[in-house]
Amino acid sequence: MTEFKLPELGENIDQGDLVRLMVSLGASVTEGQPVMELETDKAVVEVPSSVSGTVKEIRVKEGQKVKVGQVIFTVENGTGAKVKAVEPKTPAAKAPEEKPAPVAKAPSPPVTEARPVPASPPAVSTGATDFRLPELGENIDQGDLVRLMISPGSRVSEGQPVMELETDKAVVEVPSSVTGTVKEIKVKEGEKVKVGQVIFTLEGGASAPERAKHAPVEHISEQHEARLSLQAAIQAEGKTAAQVFLPDQPPPLAPTAFAMPEQLGKVAGTEHRAPAPAAPHVRRLAREIGVDIYEVKGTGPGGRISEDDVKAFAKSLLTSAAAAGAAQGRQFAQPELPDFTKFGKVERVSMRGVRRKTAQHLWEAWTTIPHVTQQDKADITELEQLRARFAPKAQEAGGKMTVTAIALKVCASALKVFPQFNASIDMSKEEIIYKQYINIGVAVDTDRGLLVPVLHEVDKKNIVELAAELTQLSKKARDKKLLPSEMEGGTFTITNLGGVGGTGFSPIVNFPEVAILGLSRSSMEPVWMNGKFEPRQVLPLSLSYDHRLIDGADAARFLRWIAEAFEQPFLLSVQG
Amino acid sequence: MTETSNLHIAVVGGGPGGYAAAFLAADLGLRVTLIDPEANPGGVCLYRGCIPSKALLHVAKLIDESRHAKNWGIEYADPKIDLARLRSWKEGVVKKLTGGLGILSKQRKIEYIQGRAAFENSNTLRISKTSGGDESLTFDRIILATGSRPAIIPSLKLDTPRVMDSTSALDLNEVPGTLLVIGGGYIGLELGTVYAALGSKVSVVEMLPGLLPGADRDLVLPLHKRMEKSFASILLNTTVAAMKEEPNGIRVTLDGPEVMEREQVFEKVLVSVGRKPNSEIPGLEKTRVQIGPRGFIQVNKQLQTSDPAIYAIGDVVGEPMLAHKASHEGRTAVEAIAGHKVAFEPAAIPAVVFTDPEIAWCGLTETQAQKENHEIKVARFPWAASGRAMTVDRTEGMTKLIFDPQTERVLGVGIVGAGAGDLIAEGVLAVEMAALAKDIALTIHPHPTLSETVMEAAEVFFGTSTHIYRPKKS
Repeated sequence: MTEFKLPELGENIDQGDLVRLMVSLGASVTEGQPVMELETDKAVVEVPSSVSGTVKEIRVKEGQKVKVGQVIFTVENGTGAKVKAVEPKTPAAKAPEEKPAPVAKAPSPPVTEARPVPASPPAVSTGATDFRLPELGENIDQGDLVRLMISPGSRVSEGQPVMELETDKAVVEVPSSVTGTVKEIKVKEGEKVKVGQVIFTLEGGASAPERAKHAPVEHISEQHEARLSLQAAIQAEGKTAAQVFLPDQPPPLAPTAFAMPEQLGKVAGTEHRAPAPAAPHVRRLAREIGVDIYEVKGTGPGGRISEDDVKAFAKSLLTSAAAAGAAQGRQFAQPELPDFTKFGKVERVSMRGVRRKTAQHLWEAWTTIPHVTQQDKADITELEQLRARFAPKAQEAGGKMTVTAIALKVCASALKVFPQFNASIDMSKEEIIYKQYINIGVAVDTDRGLLVPVLHEVDKKNIVELAAELTQLSKKARDKKLLPSEMEGGTFTITNLGGVGGTGFSPIVNFPEVAILGLSRSSMEPVWMNGKFEPRQVLPLSLSYDHRLIDGADAARFLRWIAEAFEQPFLLSVQG
Repeated sequence: MTETSNLHIAVVGGGPGGYAAAFLAADLGLRVTLIDPEANPGGVCLYRGCIPSKALLHVAKLIDESRHAKNWGIEYADPKIDLARLRSWKEGVVKKLTGGLGILSKQRKIEYIQGRAAFENSNTLRISKTSGGDESLTFDRIILATGSRPAIIPSLKLDTPRVMDSTSALDLNEVPGTLLVIGGGYIGLELGTVYAALGSKVSVVEMLPGLLPGADRDLVLPLHKRMEKSFASILLNTTVAAMKEEPNGIRVTLDGPEVMEREQVFEKVLVSVGRKPNSEIPGLEKTRVQIGPRGFIQVNKQLQTSDPAIYAIGDVVGEPMLAHKASHEGRTAVEAIAGHKVAFEPAAIPAVVFTDPEIAWCGLTETQAQKENHEIKVARFPWAASGRAMTVDRTEGMTKLIFDPQTERVLGVGIVGAGAGDLIAEGVLAVEMAALAKDIALTIHPHPTLSETVMEAAEVFFGTSTHIYRPKKS
C-alpha cells in the first residue's frame, strides 16, 4: 500500500481547500494524472498524483481543508501491473539492527483481518528502511532544515540527533528513530521539510520513495506494459509472429493512436468539465482577476456568464473576504513601502521561522487586545538578602536563584488571588475562560529570536524547583533544543529585561493570555523611610493587560500585590 | 512587469506553434531566438504537411470535378498530368509562404538560427548550426515546439522508396498504378484522395471498424460512400501481417474478415498510422522536464513543463496534433512567460479532414457524449434541402448541432460536405461564445450559401426549419 500525500504546492502554501476529487475508490491512477483540484490562497490548482496503482482508501472529503503532507488516498499496487514489477518492496528485510516496528511486520497477516492496525501511522508504512520527519507538535507540519548532522555512509542510532530544524516556534534537534547506516539523504540544508517526508534512507533498502522520484522507471514500465498489451492484442487478432515487436524497439503506437483524436473539442485534463458558458474574453478576465469561472453564476440566457457577472462575483468575494478578514483580524494590511533604494543600498532578507511567527503573533496580539500598561516599583532590598542566602540551595538543585525565578512564585500566588489575570476571552461566544491551572511562560532571548518556554503548575512548585526548571528550559532554548510542546499552554507571561537595562517598558500581552509582567533593571534609589531617605534596591515593574477583561483599578491592585510580595516575601507563605 | 520585459527566450522549432510563439513574444517586447533546421519558419505544416497537401487536394478536386462535369453537359478529355510542373507549383506555394514567414521574422528582429538545439542545462542550449559550428546560448525561458513525425511500425519497416510516409508521399515522385494506404485516418485518406485523382488505384486498410476513428459515424458515412467509388477498395477490421519487397512492388499480407485476396502486390505503400511526438530532444535529461505516457512532454495549463524555465507547446505536448492548437498554445505560453494570467483552456478546437467531401467538427461529439453519459439533443439539417448544395451538385452533406437540452446551448457542431472546413468556424465561435440555439436561428445567414445549413439546423431544433418539415415532437 502506498500513500499519496499532498505535495508541496509552492512558496508559503501549506494547505488548501479541496474543491474536487477526481478519483474514486477502486479507480486506477497513474503518476502525473490529476487527482484533485485544490483551492489555495493563490489559485485553484490541479494536483497530479505522484503514485500509481488502484485507489484503496480516500482519506479526505471535498470541501475539507487539506494540508501539505496530509494523506489524500492510498493505493494498492498488487493488481495494477504497472509499477509493481519494478518495485521490490520488502521493507522489513533490511536494517537488521532495527527491531521491526509492529506495523512493518503487518503486511502479511492484515490481509486476512478486517482491519489492519488502525493506528498505523503513515510514517512507518515503508518500514525501517527510511527515516521520516516525525510529528513535532501541534500544528507544526513543516520546518526549515537548518543543519544536517549526518552524511551518506554514516551510522545512526535511535535517539541520535540527526538534524536541526527551524519551525515556526523554535529550532529543534530531531533525533533519529531508526538505527543503521545512512544510504541516501533526500533533503538539503535550507529546504523546507514536512512531517512525514523522507529525510534519509538506510543501507540495503530500495525504499518506496525512490520509485516516486525516478520517473524514468515508471516510464519504462509503462512502455513495457503498453508493448505487452499491444502484443496481446495482436495475438488475440490472430496475427503472425512477425508483428510481435522486438523488445528493444520503441513500442509502436497503440491501435487507437492513428485515430483522429476523439476529444478534439476538449482539452486534456478538462474532460470532466463542460466548458463554462462564457465568451473567451470573459473567461480570460475571470482568470486575470483570480475568479474561477465555474463558480460564477451566469445571469444571461442559458446561464451565460457576462463580464458583469464576473465582476459582480469578484466584488462579492472581496467583500466577504474583507468581512472575514476584519472578523478574524488576520490581514497583514500594510501601507505601501517607499522605494528605499532611492536613498541607499538595502538588503532584503526573508523572514524565517521564529521571526515570521513572532511578527504574526505580536501583530495579532497588538491588533486584538486593547493594551494598557501599569507601572509600579518594588523594594527588594530584603528579598535580595534572602536571595543571596538561598542561592547555594538553588545551585545544588541545578538552578540559579534569579529575580525571575522568584517572580514566578510571586506571580503564581498573585494569579490565585486575582483569577481574572489567569483567564482568556472568547469574544465569539462572549465568554471568559478562567483557567484552573497556573502555567507561566518566561520570555527567553536567543540568537534566533524570542522564545517563551512555559513552566507548568508553577503554584505547586517551590522557588528552588522553579529556579532549576527555569535554568534548564532557558538553556534548552538557547541550545535550540526546546520542543514546541514546551512552549505551549501558558496562562501568564513574565519578561525580564533587567539583565540588559532600562527603567520600564510596555510589554505586549502574549495572546490569548490577558496579562504580562515586565521586569526592568533594579537599582539603588533613595526611598523615604522612617523620616529620612534611605538607599534601597528598587525593582521597576510593568504590567500590560487586556483592558477588555481587566479594569485599571484591578490591575493597580494586582501589581501592588506583586510589589508587596516582593517587598515582604513572608506574604507569599501567608497569602500565596 | 519590469522583470519580464527584458527576458530572452528561445523557441525550439519553427512550426505554426513555434513561430506564432516567437512572433508574439517579439511583439510583446521580449528578446527572441528562434531555432529550426529549415531555412525559414514553417515547420512540418508548411513544408511537409497541411499546406502542400492542401495544394494537391485542390488539384485533385479540380480533376474530379472536371470528370463529374459530364453530368452537367460539359465534357473534358482525360487530364494530362505534368507531374514536374505540379510539383514545382506546390513547392512554389511552400516557398512563398515560408519565405514570407522569414521576412515577418526579420521584421520583428527575431534572431533566427538555422540548426538543431540540444540542452546543456535548463537554460542553456547548444546549437549546431546548419552553416557549421556550434554555439552555446543561455536563455531565461525556452519554449519547446519540436512537433511530431510520422509513426512507423517497426515490423513493417522496409527500406525502399516503394514504402512511403506522409512526407515522401507529398514529394510526389511518381503516380503509382496501385497504392496501398495503411491507416484510415485523415492523413491516409487525404493523400489517398490525391493519388486516386491523379490516377492511382488506391486501397485503404484500417485496423478499426470504421474510417476516421473518433469522428461521429453519421459524418463519416457520406465520405465513405464517395470513397468506395473513387478508391479501389476500403478494408476495415484489417491488419497488415507482413510486407515484402518484390521486383514489381510490395507483396502485402492482409488479415481480416473482409479480405478476399490475402496476398496482394502494390506498386507503392503509404504508411499513415499516426504521428509521434518529437520529445527525444538531446540533453533533455539534464533538465527537469518530464515525459508522460506515449512520449508527450508534460505541461500544465500555462504550457509550463515540470522545469520552470521550460515551456512546451504543440504536437510534442499532446493531442490533438493540429497546427491551430499549437499556435494558440504558443501564444498562451508566451503570454504566461510575459507574466499574464492565462491558461490554455479553449471550449472547442476544430478538426477538419480535407477529403472530398470535407468533414469538420468542434466541441462535443455525439460519440463522446454517449461515452460520457452526457444528455444532449441533436439537430440535423441534410444538405439535400439546401439550394446552394443543389447548385453545386453536392447534396450528400449534412450539418448537425449538438445542444444541451436544458439550456439549449450549442455544445458541439459537426459538418460533412463540400467546404465543411470553412463552415466549421461559425460552429467554433458558437461553442466558444456559449451561443444558444435561438441565437443561431435568429442570426441572418446569407442566401444562397451553405452557411444557411447551420442556421436551419438550429431551426430544426425548434421544429421550425423553413426548408424541411419536421415538426417538434412534444
